[in-house]
Amino acid sequence: MAARQRHESGRVDDVSNDPVAEALAKDVDAGFADLYGAYQRLVFSVTLRLSGRRADAEDLTAEAFLRAFRALLGYDTDRVRALRTRAWLMTIVMNVWRNHQRTMARKPPPGDIDAAPEPVDGAESVEAAAERHDTAGRLAGLLARLPDPQREAIVLRHVVDLPVGDIASILGMAEGTVRSHISRGLSRLRTDAVTQGGLS
Amino acid sequence: MNSFDRDPVLTDLAALPMDAPDGLLDRIATRWSRVGAPIGELAVAFTRRGIAFVRPDDADFAPAFRQRFARPLLPAPAVPDGLAEALSTGDGTDLDVDLDAAGEFQRSVLEATRSIPVGQVRPYAWVAAEIGRPKAVRAVGTALATNPVPLVIPCHRVVRTDGSLGQYIFGPDTKRELLKREHADV
Repeated sequence: MAARQRHESGRVDDVSNDPVAEALAKDVDAGFADLYGAYQRLVFSVTLRLSGRRADAEDLTAEAFLRAFRALLGYDTDRVRALRTRAWLMTIVMNVWRNHQRTMARKPPPGDIDAAPEPVDGAESVEAAAERHDTAGRLAGLLARLPDPQREAIVLRHVVDLPVGDIASILGMAEGTVRSHISRGLSRLRTDAVTQGGLS
Repeated sequence: MNSFDRDPVLTDLAALPMDAPDGLLDRIATRWSRVGAPIGELAVAFTRRGIAFVRPDDADFAPAFRQRFARPLLPAPAVPDGLAEALSTGDGTDLDVDLDAAGEFQRSVLEATRSIPVGQVRPYAWVAAEIGRPKAVRAVGTALATNPVPLVIPCHRVVRTDGSLGQYIFGPDTKRELLKREHADV
């Protein structure tokens, strides 16, 4: 499959190499199962760490995927095939998140998400799971106290490992701005981690 | 990675991702499967709440579902419990239905229609009176003509006041056949 394809107009676009986009172009329902399988962890992890609440993360994840599906119904096949599905979906996720924030504006800020115990991985000892849970809980608490732009940039860059270029396009800001949010947020996390007695 | 690069905060952030809970996909997508009925093979779509869409199993099913519900439609491993039996006996009153996509008026029409027992018929005007909208006879007809779950909610048991059968999603002949099977007096 060619990574770049020349259009009739002579325009050259990045086309596919994105198997999820190919699957969606072929059959939007079966392709949706692929989209969900490929990105459910990404979307749930991001919405969980942004919202700070498991129930909110489930709602936000469901809403983002449904919106993505409905958007696809309005695209023609060429447009679907040309999608960079991960960045496209994450842009939808961030829009859903912003709408959610607006409706939650008068409600209390995110609290500690890890109050409920995580399911224990079968391969992991109970002690290791407890320790991991504790670290995750403390870190999530520190993340929740960062200003929104820093938290968003750090979650996208360091929790789910997206490239800075993608984050810039997802958040609609310059790469330099993304880097600066990340760097300021990280210094604050490090300082807070020390004052709170360390993480790892 | 040398030890100088190991930043505990970055390591801990990278350990935060987790999978969405099992079953979340079924809050987004609707499942579908095929089921045999006395009038032929049907396609049935259902959510966690219940049966949402019943139509003949043909090429129109998926596009019609998409048009009406705008949700992903994925194959189901099995049909909802009790559906095959309900289709065979004609009594679907114990089945769970998901009428969330219907409007309030249509929902009340369907709920009233659901109470008509096997082997009996009621006029459109009866349904209109039953939902407290005695003048809305035509609107009742329209609501039943687009019943998302025919057979499960027995819109074939609603007939014209003059005794003629009226329209049916699966065609007037099928309506007659269904009522005959139920020994309805028409």
